Amino acid sequence: MTRFVILLPVLLAAAAAQAAPGPAQQAELDAYTGMAKAADPNFGGFSAARGQALFLATSKTARPDTPSCTTCHTTDPTKVGRTRAGKEIGPMALSAKPDRYSVMADTEKWFARNCDSVLMRACTPMEKGDFITFMTGQ
Amino acid sequence: MARSPALAFLFEDNSARLAAVPPVPVWDLGVRVFHGLLILAVSVCAATGFIASRDWLGLHLLGGEIVIGLVVFRLVWGQSGSTYARFSTFHASWAAISAHVHEIARGERRPHLGHNPVGAAMVLALLVFLAGLVGTGVWALGGVLKQGPLAFLASYTSGLTARSIHNLLAIGILALVGLHLAGVAFESLRVRQNLTRSMITGRKPGPDDEAEPRHSARPLRALLAMALVAGLVVPGTVALSARPGLGVPAGATDPAYARECGACHFAYPASLATQAVWHSLMNGLDAHFGENASLDAAQTASIASYLDLNAAEHFDTLASHSFRLMNPGDPMRLTASPGWTRLHRSIAESVFTTRAVGGKGACNACHQDGATGRFDPQRISIPKEALN
Ligand code: HEC
Ligand code: HEC
Ligand code: HEC
Repeated sequence: MTRFVILLPVLLAAAAAQAAPGPAQQAELDAYTGMAKAADPNFGGFSAARGQALFLATSKTARPDTPSCTTCHTTDPTKVGRTRAGKEIGPMALSAKPDRYSVMADTEKWFARNCDSVLMRACTPMEKGDFITFMTGQ
Repeated sequence: MARSPALAFLFEDNSARLAAVPPVPVWDLGVRVFHGLLILAVSVCAATGFIASRDWLGLHLLGGEIVIGLVVFRLVWGQSGSTYARFSTFHASWAAISAHVHEIARGERRPHLGHNPVGAAMVLALLVFLAGLVGTGVWALGGVLKQGPLAFLASYTSGLTARSIHNLLAIGILALVGLHLAGVAFESLRVRQNLTRSMITGRKPGPDDEAEPRHSARPLRALLAMALVAGLVVPGTVALSARPGLGVPAGATDPAYARECGACHFAYPASLATQAVWHSLMNGLDAHFGENASLDAAQTASIASYLDLNAAEHFDTLASHSFRLMNPGDPMRLTASPGWTRLHRSIAESVFTTRAVGGKGACNACHQDGATGRFDPQRISIPKEALN
């Protein structure tokens, strides 16, 4: 029993390291792949690195109160974030919040809002897919 | 120095004469216990009412309940107590009062075993004021806070009026108590008797007043009368208090509203803001306090109609009346309205910015019943972490 308790964090860490999109997340990724291909026939797949860059970047076109995705989501996707109004936001990493990126309508709604707040424009399907690819690997 | 006959008592010594007379029972146990408990209950009400009204409302209400119980008891005891407890021995007519004042002026000292006419008038005035205080208090509680037996009946504005009268009566009772104490001190000096001690021991120096017809206390009759009153009033109060308050939001919160408008902050009860405020908020979701909070057209329309049908105009609670006037410089922010600022002026700015609270707009961090739209004063508690 004691041994198991000591082992537990190790097991959890291992599970986190191997986080992978489940069927619901894969469905969203497939949808964004379709949209990305429609927008650009030469689309060559999503990139977690590009997703991470989008997440961490400080936007030059942002509304004054929301310069970056990290303003609300913090720089660590496994941590809880906070809205400007003070309410907690569950972690963005799939490993830390397994129901992330599972309802397309919600994901679309928040991309629409947050990309507009931070970038003052809509995100492209490729940016959305990159972001989810990064977060499902976290 | 010329000595007026009215004040001659100050210069005489008649203690030897009084000490020679054996004391006789005057104030029965009912009167004395009533008197002691009334002092206690009125002190509690005065302290909680004048000093810390909101935090100690519960104790204030308890004090008020005890006061009205005592007043009712005194009315019953006035019919069924022993001789000097009975109102039939209260000679408080204008004629008696003026005769008494003239006696004082002439320096005469007719013994009054019971209350003298001015004292009797004072007791009756105190009872009337106390009943008035409880009555206006219950009305204010019902109208303003939508609590208690009159919540179903009393409008907010009538409650405010009742509260003003309640405040005036409270000052009035302070004045009466002051006069009462001054009167007791004056009379104690005048007749060379410690009247305060008599109210504790129940005895006064004799001789007995032969003019008053004797009555013995009828405790059983009093008990029966009290039981009858309580049997009617207590269940009645409980039943009335259980009725829905006038203009209190009772319908369930629209789940779509709670989900969508509760995503970034507390889902403000629709009854807090006017239709005009909700209307402009819903028309500007793409630029919502510096953020994009847009919804699709169908959801926007359905939430807008929910807010319209449940806006402040449809309700009569304190919270629904407090934020009708917005700050023109920030016309959609409840927490910038003059009403909100006034209600929260006792709270330091630094309390709101703590993590445990999360901002002025996080009503539910402090108002445990915030989601219902009631905002009862008894349900407020600022998180401890925020107060360090
Ligand atoms: C002003 C605060 C804020 C900023 C800035 C912000 N977000 Fe969010 N984001 C939220 C909130 C609030 C939610 C919804 C809360 C939840 O789902 O737990 C959310 C949810 C999301 C979701 C939906 C997740 C899901 O489960 O489907 C995505 C995707 C997202 N944000 C991406 C971004 C990106 C990309 C940026 C930067 C361009 C960004 N956010 C910037 C506050 C913000
Ligand atoms: C994307 C996040 C987000 C969503 C969704 C959102 N709000 Fe807000 N809301 C905010 C922010 C940020 C503020 C300003 C908080 C601050 O400055 O402290 C705010 C403030 C408010 C205020 C003023 C609060 C105050 O301090 O007096 C009201 C009222 C309000 N929102 C209503 C709504 C309604 C109604 C909806 C649903 C249609 C909604 N909000 C949805 C982010 C959001
Ligand atoms: C930091 C904690 C805190 C927050 C956050 C807060 N309040 Fe209050 N509120 C209080 C306290 C404390 C009082 C009582 C103040 C007093 O008695 O002086 C109060 C009083 C009130 C009252 C009057 C209650 C009564 O019956 O007298 C209303 C209505 C109210 N608040 C509404 C709101 C609304 C609406 C919000 C959010 C927009 C809010 N409050 C946010 C602490 C808070």
